[in-house]
Amino acid sequence: MNLSSLVGTVLARADQWRWTVMPPLVGVAMMAMIVGALVAAPREIVQGEVQRLMYIHVPSAVIMYAAFFVTAFSSVMLLWKRDMRWDAIARASATVGVFLCAMVLLSGAIWGKPTWGVYWSWDARLTSTLILFLIYTAYLLARSVAGPLDEQAARYAAVFAIIGVVDIPIIQMSVRWWRTLHPQPTVFTPDPALPNEMLLVLLIGFVAVFALAAWLIMLQSDTERASQRVTALRAEVDHREMA
Amino acid sequence: MENIEYLFAGFAVFWAGLFIYLVLLQARIRNLTREIERLEERLAESEDTPARPAAPSTPPREHTPAERREAAEQGA
Repeated sequence: MNLSSLVGTVLARADQWRWTVMPPLVGVAMMAMIVGALVAAPREIVQGEVQRLMYIHVPSAVIMYAAFFVTAFSSVMLLWKRDMRWDAIARASATVGVFLCAMVLLSGAIWGKPTWGVYWSWDARLTSTLILFLIYTAYLLARSVAGPLDEQAARYAAVFAIIGVVDIPIIQMSVRWWRTLHPQPTVFTPDPALPNEMLLVLLIGFVAVFALAAWLIMLQSDTERASQRVTALRAEVDHREMA
Repeated sequence: MENIEYLFAGFAVFWAGLFIYLVLLQARIRNLTREIERLEERLAESEDTPARPAAPSTPPREHTPAERREAAEQGA
């Protein structure tokens, strides 16, 4: 079984699940995350209650990276296979990535005000995250200006999406390379600097946001394919009526 | 319970954003589904309709008396 047929099989199975398995799964996971964040997780002594935003902010940031990696991978596949189904997946995951990026920037700004005293600072991690948001917003804007079946525009946008993903390691390494307001890594280290109760709730947050993003990518990709079908049908109707 | 208003604001922004995203997505899916149905109906109608004869671009012009005489002479 080659990669395209494997992806096709997975997408067909996911297509069946998008209105049956995914909504209750996402709902239960998100509820578990909220209960864990607001009730089960211990209160952080220095920052107080606002630190509980971590359980939505950090998972959203990591899953946002994953969504943009899916965009870059689909863009590579589009350039390689010249199959517009990859463009639909790339656009869908970029849309979900931009949504999560906006949530990360907003929740971060709200968390920053009581912690740092400002909503926004031109700190390395905030600035590089804003650049990532602008890169993929520009990608989506460029794709929406061209038609859904415009192959040349899709290929140019794919190159842009692949280059844009380079910003992700810069965001991740920014706290090591430059002096920033963000703390050094405390979760993704061999010895996490968080108690086990917090790590467990954070893990639930990762599962919840992952399930949410996967479901949204399925729905959005379905929408992009429907948009491609509308364009193809319009062209066929025009052709028939002109003949 | 210090800073609880910021905690509430952070979660509210996330849920409001998600709600708006889902509403917009659902509206787009509905519009595209309707459009696909409409276009498929039009396509089916155009397949059922027999091909029409090509319409003349201008209506036939009435001949002048001189042209009628010329045509009669050629016929003779």
